[in-house]
Amino acid sequence: MNRHLTEKELIEYQFELVSDSRAKKAAEHLKECSLCREHLQQLNRKFASLDLLSEKITVSNEWLAKVAEQTSQPVQRRIIPFRKSAWLSAAAAVLVMGALFLLVDNLSKREAKKPEFAKEHPSLLAPNGARRDTGQESRPVAGDIKLEEKAKVPAADALGKIAAETEAFVFALPQEKARVAKGLKMIEGGGVVEGEIPEQPPFAPASAIELVTLPRRENVQLTIYNSADLTLVRERRNLTLKKGWNWLQFMWANTLIDPTSLVLEPLEQKDKVRIEQLVFPARLRELGRWLIRSEISGQVPFEITYFTSGLAWRAFYMGTLAKDEKTMRLEGYVRVDNNSGDDYENAQTRVIVGQVHLLDQIAELARRQYPYDRPILEGLGEPGGTPGGDVLGVLAPTEAPAAVVLDEALELAPKEIKKEGLSEYFLYTIEGTETIPDKWGKRLLSFETDDIPVKSLYKYDEERWGTETIRFVAFTNDEKRNLGQTPIPDGDVKIYSQADDLGYLSYVGGTGIKYIPVNEEVELNLGSARLVTVEPKLMDFKTENYLFDSKGNISGWDEVQTWQIEVTNTRILPIEIEITRGFGTAYWQMKFDEKDISYEKYDVTHARFKLHLEPRSKRTYEYTVRTYQGEREQALTELMRKGVTK
Amino acid sequence: MDNTDRNLIDAHCQGSKTAFAELVRRYGEGLFGYLIRMSGNRDQAEDLVQETFKRVHEKAHTFRGTQLKSWLFTIATRVAIDSLRKRKHLRLVSLNQQADCSDEACEQLETLAVADNSCEPSQEVVLNEQKEQVRQAIESLPARQRATLVLAYYQELSYREVAEVLGCSVGTVKAQMSRALRTLAQKLPDIAGDIK
Repeated sequence: MNRHLTEKELIEYQFELVSDSRAKKAAEHLKECSLCREHLQQLNRKFASLDLLSEKITVSNEWLAKVAEQTSQPVQRRIIPFRKSAWLSAAAAVLVMGALFLLVDNLSKREAKKPEFAKEHPSLLAPNGARRDTGQESRPVAGDIKLEEKAKVPAADALGKIAAETEAFVFALPQEKARVAKGLKMIEGGGVVEGEIPEQPPFAPASAIELVTLPRRENVQLTIYNSADLTLVRERRNLTLKKGWNWLQFMWANTLIDPTSLVLEPLEQKDKVRIEQLVFPARLRELGRWLIRSEISGQVPFEITYFTSGLAWRAFYMGTLAKDEKTMRLEGYVRVDNNSGDDYENAQTRVIVGQVHLLDQIAELARRQYPYDRPILEGLGEPGGTPGGDVLGVLAPTEAPAAVVLDEALELAPKEIKKEGLSEYFLYTIEGTETIPDKWGKRLLSFETDDIPVKSLYKYDEERWGTETIRFVAFTNDEKRNLGQTPIPDGDVKIYSQADDLGYLSYVGGTGIKYIPVNEEVELNLGSARLVTVEPKLMDFKTENYLFDSKGNISGWDEVQTWQIEVTNTRILPIEIEITRGFGTAYWQMKFDEKDISYEKYDVTHARFKLHLEPRSKRTYEYTVRTYQGEREQALTELMRKGVTK
Repeated sequence: MDNTDRNLIDAHCQGSKTAFAELVRRYGEGLFGYLIRMSGNRDQAEDLVQETFKRVHEKAHTFRGTQLKSWLFTIATRVAIDSLRKRKHLRLVSLNQQADCSDEACEQLETLAVADNSCEPSQEVVLNEQKEQVRQAIESLPARQRATLVLAYYQELSYREVAEVLGCSVGTVKAQMSRALRTLAQKLPDIAGDIK
């Protein structure tokens, strides 16, 4: 060998990890190469340090006896600690549970069918279960029974195999055998020993595989309290329970569910199914486990209620004015946005109008690490009631909504929103069900009303809007105007008008509206109107009737102003306009002689004129106002007392 | 295979508690030594020994091999590797590390301390540092390489026996051993003495 040995070659030579021939070559090289020998010695010194940990380890005979005693106990349930991070194991467990659930469900359904069939067709079955040859009619049903038998075979085989294997351990020990058999029953019966349920509940599920998997929702109802970022979720799920103690795991990871509000209630078999406790296992975040005591085996419908945040709704409206602008079609929509972290399939959605007072913010509760410090109170979550409402200081709906049957054929039809009054709140129930995935929003039609009589009105008030004329559309939320069944929630409204006979629309303006109670008139401010203008001009100004005090100073006087108001309507429709004029004092007197223009004292410092203008017309009118300054105010008071002026 | 080993297994399968106790007595100490080096923690090693014998108890009827010792170490290796996977941050501690002081460990510590009385205090400190270095070097090895090293070096199993325990070929064992030693060569302290 002409080259030096590498470290790898030296190690493999030293630890006999190479073939004899290579070892021989390495030995020959080492004999001649002092450098490699030195390298090997250096490695040897390093590997010698391994011996520092090679002390003789001894254990006592007592300990070994104890190990023998403990490990030779009969076969017991294997404890598989549930690890949150082991997602693969969890996924596998879910799949296994799902398969078991399907198998059990299938078997139970077929079990249920068998007696009915036997009752209806007693002649089809022989006493031993064999099918008699009864002709063609019986074939499909008999086929079902065969399937049932087939389905049972693997399970029975598996159980038999387990039993056989277990018995092999305890072949020579009758007592041990009895204990193992008992253990098997516990596994099969979910903690039930020979039909009895242990009085003491288990401290905790021994492993994740003993948990009842939460099945899919049968239906879900969302009640969204918009003002408080609060949603009450009521979901119905059919749980398959075994007789005895059952653990049900509920996880809320990556959602905004408030774990303190969780309530579980059986909807049927209430006398036989009892919810004992809800625990939040240590070290396992964002999950809770319910302990359920069941005296029956089989499927039981449950309702789970909780609060979540992240769901929000907002109303908005679209109004379309008729060509004559005397009527309007109004469409109301509700947009529901889901940022709760959970998908809600086929959810019945209800929205609440009104302010809700919360003691806690649900989103904060949901983000808390452990939900220990706010216990669930007894008596909450009665079916049809409002769980958690008192805990959170929420005035919530007290009546369940009428059941809504979803007609498949009408799925695409617009959903009607049913409204119910709830004291200071108002509940809108969206007809049918909607699927609202996480991070999605959905617009739902709330109402649609044609031919709502409206008043198209222009207003001019320098103190409020400057020199611009503002356009309003006014209507009343009452039954006469095809509305008035419920208040109208806050929301944005956009008004369009029909631009031509073909139905094209032009945007007129938009605004936000506040909550409109029933029988209340609302004016929608559509912004400035360029086709209607108002131009006030001061035509004359003078002062008179001066008063002087004892020192000869002016103590009072009158100001007389003559204003000319020019109103121009360049629209093709007649208009109504209100012109408000302010005088800056409560002591004023108006002289106004136009007969076809109505005039009123709007308030103590303002007067209001109401005009009607024909299309593409102009109207000019004048008024003279006298304002009383200083001690002259007394003169006006005297005049009013005498009834000379208003 | 030892005739007595086969007899013990057969007797155990027939329900003899004494036979199983004898199995534990015969191999318990060796397995404990192996598992304490694998896990680096005495308490955990005790648990692993229990888990190993529990599996032996449950699976005894499936034993068809000839080498009971290899079979036991195979089970122990699986148990240890499972445990290593669960606890990614394992520490391989020296048997006389003072931090780990269960009753028996403390007793052993005292014994070793008496034995080491001849050492100067400064030498003892150096020795402890070197032990810590060795411990950390072994701890840094992947589980399979660690198992190979511990079985071959500390448990003194032949490479063929190690291959049987780990369920692989002798060549694979040698390759694992070679990799483990090359890694250790970079990390072990340089001390005077002969290798084993």
